[in-house]
Amino acid sequence: MRRWTLTLLTASGLALGACGDIPADTEGTLDRATGGALVVGVSEHHPWTTIGDAGEITGTEADLITSFAESIDARLEWHTGPESVLADMTKEGELDVVIGGLTADAPWSDKMALTRPYSGDQVMGLRMGENELLVALERHLAREHGEI
Amino acid sequence: MAAAGSGHDALPEKQQRALRQAIRLEWLTIGLLVVSATLIYLVMGQSQAMQAALLDDLLSFLPPIAFLVAARVIRIGANRRFPFGHHRSIGAAHLVSATALLLMGGFLVVDSVLGLTAGERPPIGLTVLFGQEIWAGWLMVAVMAATASPPVILGRKKLALARTLHDKVLYADADMARADWQTALATIVGVLGIGVGLWWTDAVAAIVVGASIVWDGWNNLTAAVQDLLDTRALTFDEEEHPLIGEAEDLARGTAWVADAEARVRDQGHVLHVEMLVVPEPGHDPTMIELDSLRRQLHQLDWKLHDVQVVPVFDIPDHLRDSGAHATAEGESP
Repeated sequence: MRRWTLTLLTASGLALGACGDIPADTEGTLDRATGGALVVGVSEHHPWTTIGDAGEITGTEADLITSFAESIDARLEWHTGPESVLADMTKEGELDVVIGGLTADAPWSDKMALTRPYSGDQVMGLRMGENELLVALERHLAREHGEI
Repeated sequence: MAAAGSGHDALPEKQQRALRQAIRLEWLTIGLLVVSATLIYLVMGQSQAMQAALLDDLLSFLPPIAFLVAARVIRIGANRRFPFGHHRSIGAAHLVSATALLLMGGFLVVDSVLGLTAGERPPIGLTVLFGQEIWAGWLMVAVMAATASPPVILGRKKLALARTLHDKVLYADADMARADWQTALATIVGVLGIGVGLWWTDAVAAIVVGASIVWDGWNNLTAAVQDLLDTRALTFDEEEHPLIGEAEDLARGTAWVADAEARVRDQGHVLHVEMLVVPEPGHDPTMIELDSLRRQLHQLDWKLHDVQVVPVFDIPDHLRDSGAHATAEGESP
């Protein structure tokens, strides 16, 4: 029983010691994007993302990302490309977020982190390990859809 | 019908009670494992440490299942087809669960090392629980903390019963369960590590858990193989079983016996004894003398279950303490 108490103490000690900023990003992406630039990869997929003739990005997911960027006071840098290229770029840390009507069963889960489905099966992709950004974006998506 | 064989194969009352209690505890263990594995599965996400904890839980099903199967099989008494009875089923169960532990633990270590070297960074995001947002990592920590203590408590109870029963599967199960809190602690540290942005703590925690499973598996495998190879019967602490000496002393103390040495093998719950006796010079032991010694040995302890007394001219050298040396040098049979 003394061991169990010890476990509890160790665990809660760790938890308290680190309570300031959980979860944190491994590369500090959210801190960098806040007040700076959020780099977003887009692959075209109606009605979630549409790339206009002049390169303007519209669609429901573009709107969600725009409002998220506003909430953290970030400007958006768009990169367009096919999903597979965007997934590889995310794995290399060149993109922060990927949108394009991705679903929870997207085959990129070893290259990017997928958000929890925000509506039906719809998800967005993020750089792996950036859990503070992940939580911030997921919270934004859940609020936009009235889940919380 | 007795719970553990009948007639010749029956266990004494105290052991039968312990066996019934152990069977209840193992069913309880399986029930708890179902609950904790389900909870872990629901919250584990992409954390390697949590996946390791789930694997650990799934593997923990094996020893109780092996024990329950074996406890059923030993009820079948000795018969023409199985002249030694079915107590050895304990040994078979022990071997099966040890092999599974070793393989799965090895898989876990390799998988986590690959993940660590590839720099895999586990994402842990948000969960919405009853309309409340919460970081999924906290749920993982809560589940691991909640499932850590029941196996430890059950393990302590099972350990006592394992000693009473001389049951090595139950002992292995209890021993693993007692160490379960370490798995939980490692997993919690791994998840909290992700929380503070140290992505590698997760894989390291998974390696620690995997290594402890490998350790359990290796120890159990060597012990199970030794028993199946009929090594001189050992206690749980790998000491020579004290009953061997007691039985030999009893035989040597008999008036017509000049010398005696026993071959004792571990059948599971019970021991199988071949007592080689050298009669005093010029004395031909009678049927009555031989049978009376056999009965006395049988009555020495319930564990001395199957006893033969074999009159011989000489004790073979390899049975003596110094005999181990000769065998090691490759003495021809």
